[in-house]
Amino acid sequence: MNMSDRIHNLSETECVVNTLLGIVSENECTQCGKCVFGYEGAAQLQMILGDITEKKGKSTDLGQMQELCELMKTQSLCEAGEEIADTVLAALETYRQDFEDHVGKKGCKAGVCKKFMTYHILADKCNGCGECIDACDEEAIIGKDKFVHIIDQQECIQCGACMEICEEEAIVRAGAVKPRCPKRPIPCKRR
Amino acid sequence: MKIQIDGKEIEALEGESILDAALRAGIFIPHLCSHPDLEAKGGCRLCSVEIGGEEGAFPACKTKVREGMEVTVNGPVSSKVRKMAMELILATHPADCTGCPKYGKCELQSMYQYMGVSAERWRKKSRSVANDDSNPLISHLFTRCVRCGRCIRACQELRGVRVLDYIRTPAGIRAGVLEGKSLKDAGCRFCGACIEVCPTGSIMDQVKIMKEERSYAENIVPCRSTCPAHIDIPRYIRYIKAGEFGKATAVVREKVPFPETLGSICNHACENECKRNELNGAVSICKLKRAAAVNDSGMWKERTRKEAPTGKKAAVIGAGPSGLTAAYYLAKKGHDVTVFEKNEKAGGQCRYGIPSYRLPDELLDREIAVMLEAGFQLETQTAAPMPKELLEQGYDTVLVAIGTHQGTKLPMEGNDLPGVYVNADFLRNARHGTPLPVGEKVMVLGGGNVAYDCARTAVRLGAQEVHMACLESEAQMTSTPDEIEEGRQEGIILHPAHSFLRILGTDKVQGVEIQKIDKFYFDEDRRAVMELVEGSNQVIAVDHVIFAVGQKPEGTKQMELELTHGPYIRADENLRTSMEGVFAAGDVVTGTKSVIAAIAAGRRAAEQMDLYLGGDGDISEKLLEDETPSPYIGQAEGFAGLDRVEPGIKTAAERTKDFALVEQPFTCEQAQCEAGRCLQCDLRLQLHRPKLWNEY
Repeated sequence: MNMSDRIHNLSETECVVNTLLGIVSENECTQCGKCVFGYEGAAQLQMILGDITEKKGKSTDLGQMQELCELMKTQSLCEAGEEIADTVLAALETYRQDFEDHVGKKGCKAGVCKKFMTYHILADKCNGCGECIDACDEEAIIGKDKFVHIIDQQECIQCGACMEICEEEAIVRAGAVKPRCPKRPIPCKRR
Repeated sequence: MKIQIDGKEIEALEGESILDAALRAGIFIPHLCSHPDLEAKGGCRLCSVEIGGEEGAFPACKTKVREGMEVTVNGPVSSKVRKMAMELILATHPADCTGCPKYGKCELQSMYQYMGVSAERWRKKSRSVANDDSNPLISHLFTRCVRCGRCIRACQELRGVRVLDYIRTPAGIRAGVLEGKSLKDAGCRFCGACIEVCPTGSIMDQVKIMKEERSYAENIVPCRSTCPAHIDIPRYIRYIKAGEFGKATAVVREKVPFPETLGSICNHACENECKRNELNGAVSICKLKRAAAVNDSGMWKERTRKEAPTGKKAAVIGAGPSGLTAAYYLAKKGHDVTVFEKNEKAGGQCRYGIPSYRLPDELLDREIAVMLEAGFQLETQTAAPMPKELLEQGYDTVLVAIGTHQGTKLPMEGNDLPGVYVNADFLRNARHGTPLPVGEKVMVLGGGNVAYDCARTAVRLGAQEVHMACLESEAQMTSTPDEIEEGRQEGIILHPAHSFLRILGTDKVQGVEIQKIDKFYFDEDRRAVMELVEGSNQVIAVDHVIFAVGQKPEGTKQMELELTHGPYIRADENLRTSMEGVFAAGDVVTGTKSVIAAIAAGRRAAEQMDLYLGGDGDISEKLLEDETPSPYIGQAEGFAGLDRVEPGIKTAAERTKDFALVEQPFTCEQAQCEAGRCLQCDLRLQLHRPKLWNEY
């Protein structure tokens, strides 16, 4: 499948920003270095798209990519640079809202970009064992023995370490729709 | 054809690029990846321009001129392209310009300052890589690489060496050596073209190579700048490599009239500075000169200078290297020159100071005979009148070039005993065929090449045991390592780092007492300080002692010229003495130096005396057509490992039998092979330096 086909045929579980980052990173421009617009242009796109997937996008990013790609299209030494530019421009036009959601910190609709996810502890599954508290380097989880633990969303950096360690499958990742959870530790229902 | 740039009509050449046409007309268009000596690639887009009737921006370096073309440098689109291109380059380039060795000479720095651009709005990225000084001569600082590809094109296309290429590293793409090889292993020929064309500080000459007291060009070709006579060494070596010995000799002869003499005995300071020392030993520059001279075709004679008689008369006192050189060039300028020499033959130190096993009489005779063809009179066995008398006799100018022919003794007990000699007397007598007796055992005091000349002469005169003692340690001795080694082979017993306390004996020399030196140095007042090792005294029984601790001029006191440091003649930078019309050159002015320095001084004297006589002072000769060497040097298998070729040399047992020449000249094959080791540093100077915007 060529590049623009890949962009135009995204499934619901594919994020356009993340997919575009993959396309740019795999492009031969990143392995050549013979022209400024191809090599440095691709490097900038990688950095900008990478930042957007990591919730570090800036309001100026979309306009800047647009401007860059318009020149990259004509000023690269070969078609590889032109192809990247065309693909990015097409993606920006077709999926404008998705880009804006990322940059505006609203979220990643497809649930792909980890930094847009939140983590939650389900009260009916948590047995208050404390494993997740130990696993969290950010000390973002509060709770005590036999009480349902709570993730402090202000402190959480969405690393996912707690979810991996929980044997009770009590921790879930959520996109736009969030599960209902207690606000503060309450005694566990499960024993 | 005519084209217009920003409304200004300029003349352009069929087939050239817009950029070349503009730059030639003095119109600056920013550019980075293009270089005057390399094929344009159009990668950087800094030279973007707009063309009347066409849409968009085009790289001026890749776009050919067309009749009537209307070019706009700073149109809306081209300006935007240029600005963004520079921003993108800067976004991944280190921002610490002031810490960069190329600061102030960097094309990128110059260009972005001209454009007033910064990478502020872009994401920054560092592609840092450790600086690499592990290769000889060349420093790699590839963190600063901007991937312009100039070094790669220079190495691949211009030079044909094909060592540098774009390489992929974890930190990104940059110029470098494939497979992580060292430059030596990759087949680098160390021509320096990559350094020369690098616009930033990514590829640099190693700091230790670039000496502050030398100009850029002098640093690039240090052999030529170090030679006192500035012989064009890389040029003659290239001719030797091609087997064109006649042309090689002509190149040497453009600067010196004694090629074979110098090829035999020059102290070759050039070789100390040869950049190949950083690989595996200097090119054998001196011996190559001998090979060229031995195989000379004489073609240089076709173009030699011969001006009409001027009617002016010049006298030269002393037929040593500087006196003969001055006479030679003055004669070519049309002056009537007479050289006075008190010895029976001309040559000065070359004949009476240097033993014939290093420089045979026949060789000197031959070269001096050729010089005499320039048309000057040589009066040997003639004590010259004093300079003032010569002027009174009708000579318009006089050169005093009498050298330093009086040996000196150190003030010490026993220095006037019978059997104590000085270097100059000893060597001169040996050369005259009336050697001073050496007995069985001899001690030479001194550690320079002249001391070795004395010691090795004593061996040849039949001495059974020859000692040498000097204050310096072996590493500090001024004699060349070759001389020390050949002396050792001939059985000379060296006592380095020893002080001489006294010469023992009542009515003749019986021995020398020496003592080991712990430390020997010069203090802040430049006085010699010695710390001796207690109880290390020893007496070496000898029949004769030869002082080889320096020489000084003889007979200068009577010349009515201002002297300095005792018997030396004071001369200003133009070699004028205190007496109007009288010049002085060579060792009598500078103290004992070298034959090549004396020749260089002789040339300078000729220039100044010609000016004094009303000439233009130009003694330069162009003895052969200028030929531009090919920039394409190609690949050479195992180039970095090519060992220095050594000429044939007789065994110690053979050579100590008589005063016959010790060393054979290179065969033609050997010479061509050795010449092939030259790095051809001078090719770098053929490359054009792109002018910075402020030079337009």
